[in-house]
Amino acid sequence: MSDTLVLQPRLDISAADPLAQALRTRLGSDLTVDARDVTHLGAMCLQVLLSAAQTVRRAGHRFTLANASDRVLEQLGSMGFTPETLAEGRT
Amino acid sequence: MSDPMDPMAEIRASFFIECEELLEALQDGLNQLEDGGEDTETINVVFRAVHSIKGGAGAFGLEALVRFAHRYETVLDEVRSNRLVPDHEALKLFFQAADHLSDLVRACRDDQPLPEETSAALLDELDKLLGDQTEEEVQPQDFTPLGVSLDLPGLSDLDDAADGSDPIPCWTIHFKPAFELYETGNEPQMLLRNLCALGEAEVSCDIGELPGLLDLKPETPHLAWTIRLTADVDEAEIRAVFEFVEGLCRLDITRDADPAAAPEAAAPAPMPDAAAEPGDPRPATPSPAPEAAPKAGSAGNSSKSVVRVDLERIERLVNLVGELVINQAMLSQSLESAGLSPHSDAMNGLEEFQRLTRDIQDSVMMIRAQPVKSLFQRMSRIVREASAAVGKEVRLITDGENTEVDKTVIERLADPLTHMIRNAVDHGLETAEARKASGKTEEGHVRLTAAHRSGRVVIEVADDGGGIDRQKVLETAVRKGLVPSDAVLSDTEIDNLLFLPGFSTAGKVSNLSGRGVGMDVVKTAIQQLGGRISIASERHRGTTFTISLPLTLAVLDGMVVDVAGETLVLPLNVVVETLSLSSEDVQMLRPGANVVRVRGGFVPIYDLGAMLGYRPVRTDFTGCIVLLISLDDGHRAALVIDGIQDQRQVVIKGLDDSFYRAPGIAAATILGDGQIALILDPADIIAGNGPIRVPDRSLKEKRADHG
Repeated sequence: MSDTLVLQPRLDISAADPLAQALRTRLGSDLTVDARDVTHLGAMCLQVLLSAAQTVRRAGHRFTLANASDRVLEQLGSMGFTPETLAEGRT
Repeated sequence: MSDPMDPMAEIRASFFIECEELLEALQDGLNQLEDGGEDTETINVVFRAVHSIKGGAGAFGLEALVRFAHRYETVLDEVRSNRLVPDHEALKLFFQAADHLSDLVRACRDDQPLPEETSAALLDELDKLLGDQTEEEVQPQDFTPLGVSLDLPGLSDLDDAADGSDPIPCWTIHFKPAFELYETGNEPQMLLRNLCALGEAEVSCDIGELPGLLDLKPETPHLAWTIRLTADVDEAEIRAVFEFVEGLCRLDITRDADPAAAPEAAAPAPMPDAAAEPGDPRPATPSPAPEAAPKAGSAGNSSKSVVRVDLERIERLVNLVGELVINQAMLSQSLESAGLSPHSDAMNGLEEFQRLTRDIQDSVMMIRAQPVKSLFQRMSRIVREASAAVGKEVRLITDGENTEVDKTVIERLADPLTHMIRNAVDHGLETAEARKASGKTEEGHVRLTAAHRSGRVVIEVADDGGGIDRQKVLETAVRKGLVPSDAVLSDTEIDNLLFLPGFSTAGKVSNLSGRGVGMDVVKTAIQQLGGRISIASERHRGTTFTISLPLTLAVLDGMVVDVAGETLVLPLNVVVETLSLSSEDVQMLRPGANVVRVRGGFVPIYDLGAMLGYRPVRTDFTGCIVLLISLDDGHRAALVIDGIQDQRQVVIKGLDDSFYRAPGIAAATILGDGQIALILDPADIIAGNGPIRVPDRSLKEKRADHG
């Protein structure tokens, strides 16, 4: 049983709350967040994703960040993350 | 105590003034980009302008402004980091966004409702630029998460050899953004990236006590970052990265014991900044920042130091100087009437006084003078909007933006100039198809230039369109009864018909120009500024409107003359020479129309006394003095006067609206003896006797000119 959430292109501060809402409904199973459309990943949404990753993993499920573009990789990198560390909810 | 709101309002006001400057810089930068300026500094200037507006707006809680500026800035940042190469359309969008940004700034300043829909539409467009780009982006090379090169001894040797300074210092920066940082549209990601750009950086995020998703309040920030930065920078440079978020985050900067510092590097040659000797961690107090920050700022842009002065104070100064000029004239008059020798000390002193007065006056006028740049930038917006409205591709070329003109003149030029620009775009330029058919580029050009020419400011609006269709103009004028149907008019005269009230050749009224506001309004506005406007047009080549304005509205170099017992002042710059007439100089064309022979040419005679209604028309000009004047449009005329009193500076006193606007009279002045004298407008005098009423005369004039 797994669930996929396709992320919005712009994950700035105004997207943080909707993102948290969307993720909360998907905590009960393995979760893949698909970053193929993302052009901007801001710190507030990063925080939501991190929290979601920790929560999902604590519940014994898998959390995966998929299809991160080079741009997202770079943005993650500048904040000290890779898709893997993000998925693990650690730095 | 005083109202606590006051200082805030003041700061706010100065923020908006600063915004105007930033917007100007933004426009400049965009123009340079459009002209193909590949300079990386240009895009940096553009980016910084938007960024600074955002920063300031955040501090004042102008959220709409912050939101828009932020997204705009994001796109510009892509350009800055070479991930987006703006094409023509993108630049157009940048211009629109800049226009909109200035709208937003004004709306915020005046507490007007904000144009949110436009914001949304533009933001969508801007985001599209980002979206399109995702496919073709490349991994930027400047981000390297690990500072491996530290261990290369060669590098630090090289560095040592190069400038003999300490090994590259290593900094530890703790950075924890507060909610306000996010709220004001700032993004840690961007800050971190800028920090990384300083040198080798290792970023790690401190997740801290991040709650589970169900307990997470998305608007409470928990993340903090620790950055180990190895870069040859000082603390001020690091702090400069966080300049706009000062107070919105926790920031600790510590200088580490240098890992690359070999023991021998520590001992010799302490450099000026040796306070930070290796092994001596620099205290992370914020105190060094204030002293260092101005240094960084002045290095960044070597702008001149400027004082902002209330315009009212300058007005007062100008008025006082005007009084001083009058007073000085009075003094010189009374000294003269006291019968002092012109070589006496008093008279010499007075001469010096006169010179100083003039210097003071020039200096005061210079205070009020401003470059026409801001005006021209407004016009480039008009061109963009007008060309979009009529669906023509138009490029505005400006020249002489740094020409300085009195501030009041600039303000009052905006409306007429707007109208002329719209006219040029709407009526002047042909459609793209028509242009193509006649072998021109599809993109129409409108050229806006300003220059100083012999004590006046000349502003030209030129298009490379179809030129004036004189046949059509004449037909329209006849149909509207503005000229008799049998009138024979020269080209210039036909062109001047455009300035008649109630004239419009546009076949249909477009929603752009031709709304009943004609060129006559433009002409009136220019004349109220003491200026003149003229047209030059060539069929299929284009039309040029030339506005000529006095440099200032306050003082005039005049020639004081007597006419029929009245004292009049004529602007000195139009006077070419004076003549004393003998009987054979004058030739009569018909009763009331005479010409004078001057150096082989013929110049029409205008009898000032008769034209101003001071006395009946004279028939014999023998022994009269005439002033030969030459106007901007090349017309010459001989004005008959009775005597010349003096050449002097006069202070222009505008005639109130309650006076009848007499043709030929521009203003009045107060002379040294307290007498009031009228200042003449020579162009108006001649026009008042002008081509429409007496067309045949000016025709002959013209021929006489050529002969």
